[in-house]
Amino acid sequence: MRKLVTVAALSVAITAFGVSASLAGDYPERPIGVAVSYGAGGATDFQARIVTMVAGNADMLGQPIYILNKPGAGGRKGWNWFATEAEADGYTMSAYNVPHFIAQGIKGGVKYNADSFEPIANWGADPAVVIVGKDSQFNSMADLVDFAKANPGKTTTSGAGLFVGHHIAALQIEKACACKIAYIPTKGGGAAAMKAVIAGEVMAGINNLSDAFRAREAGNIKIIGIADLERNTEFLPDVPTLKEAGFDVDNSSVNFRGLMVPKGTPQAIIDKLAAQVPLMFNHKRVIKRMKAGGSPLKVMDRASVLAMWAERKSALSELLKGL
Amino acid sequence: MNMTRFQHLIPAGIIFVLSAIVTWLSFTEEPAESFLFPRAISVFFIALAAWNLVRAASGLSRVGEGMSSSVMKNVFPGLLVMIVFVFWAAKGLGFYLASSLSFLAIYSLYDPAPWSSPKAWIKRVMITAAFMAVVYGLFTLVLQVRTPRGLFF
Amino acid sequence: MGDANPSGEQAGMEFLHYFGGVFEPVALLLLLGGTIGGLILGATPGLSPTMAVALLIPFTFHLSATQGLILLGAAYTSTVAGGAVSAILLNIPGAPANIATALDGNEMARKGQGARALQLSFLASGVGGVIGVLLLIFLTPVLAQWALKFGPSHLFWIAILGVTVIGSLDSKSFVKGLLSGCIGLWLSMIGYDEILGTERFIFTDALTGGIHIIPALIGLFAIPQVMEMFSKGRSTANVNAISVPKYSLSQSIKELLDSIRSLSIGTVVGSVIGLIPGVGGQISGLVAYDQARKFSPMREKFGTGHAEGIIAAESANNAMVGPSLIPLLTLSIPGSPTAAVLLGGLLIHGIFPGSDIFDKHPQVVWTFINSMLIGQILMVIFGIYTAAWAARIAKAPAPIMAAGVLVLAVFGSYSVQQSMGDVHIMLVLGIGMFLLEKFGFSAAPLVLGLILGPLAGDYFTNGSMIAAAQNGPWVYFFTGGLNILLISLVSLSIGYSFWNNMLQKRDPVPEKAGQEPGQ
Repeated sequence: MRKLVTVAALSVAITAFGVSASLAGDYPERPIGVAVSYGAGGATDFQARIVTMVAGNADMLGQPIYILNKPGAGGRKGWNWFATEAEADGYTMSAYNVPHFIAQGIKGGVKYNADSFEPIANWGADPAVVIVGKDSQFNSMADLVDFAKANPGKTTTSGAGLFVGHHIAALQIEKACACKIAYIPTKGGGAAAMKAVIAGEVMAGINNLSDAFRAREAGNIKIIGIADLERNTEFLPDVPTLKEAGFDVDNSSVNFRGLMVPKGTPQAIIDKLAAQVPLMFNHKRVIKRMKAGGSPLKVMDRASVLAMWAERKSALSELLKGL
Repeated sequence: MNMTRFQHLIPAGIIFVLSAIVTWLSFTEEPAESFLFPRAISVFFIALAAWNLVRAASGLSRVGEGMSSSVMKNVFPGLLVMIVFVFWAAKGLGFYLASSLSFLAIYSLYDPAPWSSPKAWIKRVMITAAFMAVVYGLFTLVLQVRTPRGLFF
Repeated sequence: MGDANPSGEQAGMEFLHYFGGVFEPVALLLLLGGTIGGLILGATPGLSPTMAVALLIPFTFHLSATQGLILLGAAYTSTVAGGAVSAILLNIPGAPANIATALDGNEMARKGQGARALQLSFLASGVGGVIGVLLLIFLTPVLAQWALKFGPSHLFWIAILGVTVIGSLDSKSFVKGLLSGCIGLWLSMIGYDEILGTERFIFTDALTGGIHIIPALIGLFAIPQVMEMFSKGRSTANVNAISVPKYSLSQSIKELLDSIRSLSIGTVVGSVIGLIPGVGGQISGLVAYDQARKFSPMREKFGTGHAEGIIAAESANNAMVGPSLIPLLTLSIPGSPTAAVLLGGLLIHGIFPGSDIFDKHPQVVWTFINSMLIGQILMVIFGIYTAAWAARIAKAPAPIMAAGVLVLAVFGSYSVQQSMGDVHIMLVLGIGMFLLEKFGFSAAPLVLGLILGPLAGDYFTNGSMIAAAQNGPWVYFFTGGLNILLISLVSLSIGYSFWNNMLQKRDPVPEKAGQEPGQ
């Protein structure tokens, strides 16, 4: 028994030494987990599975990435867990959704903010679009806003949750038109918010470009505006931006998705991931699958993501100040 | 018989206190919109808990055999193993070592075969090893669940 | 699809042209692999069908669209049915859908009829499943629009309808059944409010994440059973906790046909609930179980290892599979979490669901649907083979059973979110449930409360917000044909429970008197 303990202690010591010695060199030695704060099948989960599919290739990370779903309360459950419980050893990453987690951090009631995490790289950008049912009386943003002005607080508008991109877009629209709409966060995220519009439970909705594009292809909805700086030439060349329609709404609500690690992860590991992960996102098979699914790809390296986070943080602090 | 009636009072009392706390919180916590549904539930909860308490006190609570001292005595060692396993050993010793030890402990504690027989011990260890191998294959190899490593495996 | 083929029958028969695709060697191999793998994953405690299907998504990257969907469809079908294995043999429901199966299935297995329970469960799953897929094949255009009619107010009433079942689910005590349900409803509200994001009832940091349904399910069912085995002590009589002797298959088939009432109730309830987006299959098994009991002349036998209970529950949760894909395929609305994962499986191959999906991609979609039909049958065959196989090895004596169930419960609840907190919650709930059961409370109504709490609560919040912007809650929740229909059903269900309770009081069943400690 004593011998066994000695052997075990020795092997632990060797492992521990091995880990610290090989931090940068041999990392990763085993599969890496990516926690997704939304349910399996949601847009973030679906895209995370695609963009990490080539991680196991020898010229990428050399180890596969597996997805771990921790859904609940608009992402709060998953990111709370990530901020407080995840080990900062490079083997647990999380998918981030900006502006969601930054806005929730500013609003409070959660255990994280923009400074709790270290970004690795960004893979996608999904702008919010304003949608109405296919038989709706509204055909443009002007129609919708005119109605909202005449009936303050009666324009029911669905979105995926509170303090997520859709909600930010709704707040910006309210501010820009100086009118009051009734933003309805739905149970079940973006898909349920889309269903509410198709079924006529609400008068309008704010949803992801990729989902709205498909719903329009299926003949279920009309898309009347896009909350981005420029039109989306690839999927929706005919849809005007909110700015073009005369509302001062920028791209603060664009849903950026990417990977991050907890603060405290060794710099060598962050550097290695920051160098490799964008290559992985740009792999031709990833690009092909993302395109097939109608998901806009936008690869950004760590430096640009850091800048983007900082910019969003100050813009959102400004927007959410009065709330 | 009075013992059973007294025993039934304990859970009824605890549940009533719990329902009172839930009701109080539902009506005092902010923001109110978040607590509208809890309020509706808590009203039913406290009413039923009160009714149950009255029934227990008057001896009308007829279902459930209560706890006998032999049940408590028999359950105790297993309960202790479970608590140590889940709240300490799983993280402290590592998932697989803790699970193997707990499996062996529970199996041996409740195995009618004599504790002094080496043959029985060999069987116990073999079955534990076989079971843990299946668990390892399923959860770690197939499902890639990353279990806490702890001090040992 | 309706426009392209004006004659419904012609449109319906179209699927026959695409059976060839299912029988290609690779497709058939995937179908077999998906079915067997699905049964194993489904039987693994803690692994819900949604997670199992999500795990397979990466494999479909390397397959063609048709092949990928065959794999996912087969896995979906068989994981739902596979959950019955652990529910019956271990009393650990693999997913919420299998709770009702555990009620009678585990009792039957403990009486030494595990093989019978497994056979009945797979046969009933197969019948329900095939009918569900046939609905998907023939009635998609009709039912798709119907699925859209359920808004937040209706979903709220459906959840309340489920809540009314609580009182009758526990046959031992009406008050304690309702009280168990209330405890479940309260437990479900711990953590963040799903819609408003505010914190509720978080007494310690361990509860920040709320109570995840699957670890709770494992704790509430498995741990009391483990402790029950402890309470027998080092019994010298080497009793098998469970044994699965051979049971004649033809006898099982005969029993299934004799229980045609429960089978029909299960299939109808499962199909209807599966069709409604946002309710999911979680409650179909329990609602069907309750209805089957209400209509059965042998009502009091439910919960004691009665065949009708297993049949109703399992036919319901597999009947749900086909209809749950109707809103997905034609409206691109995933009605359940598993359907959402399947949507991903379609999208990565560039197939966008919509009303024209049957015209645009007939080959892919019909092969997929056909493979589910064949998959149901394969599932029954392999499931029954499992039963025979289990007959040879599953003769675990109580101590091994207790130790094994404990370890599986810990691994199962950990693996859901790879969180130790979930394991702690699992054990605490389990120990609490053991004590409560000793005093006449039961796990089934508590779990039902735990499942329905978020549905009722969140749709209430959601509906109230819409109502506030429109004509107020009264108009929103209480007017309109569908609301009134559902409210009538709720009233009927409550009325029935009270009436039945009164009857029982006047004329107590002698069997129950035996359980009562002397007064």
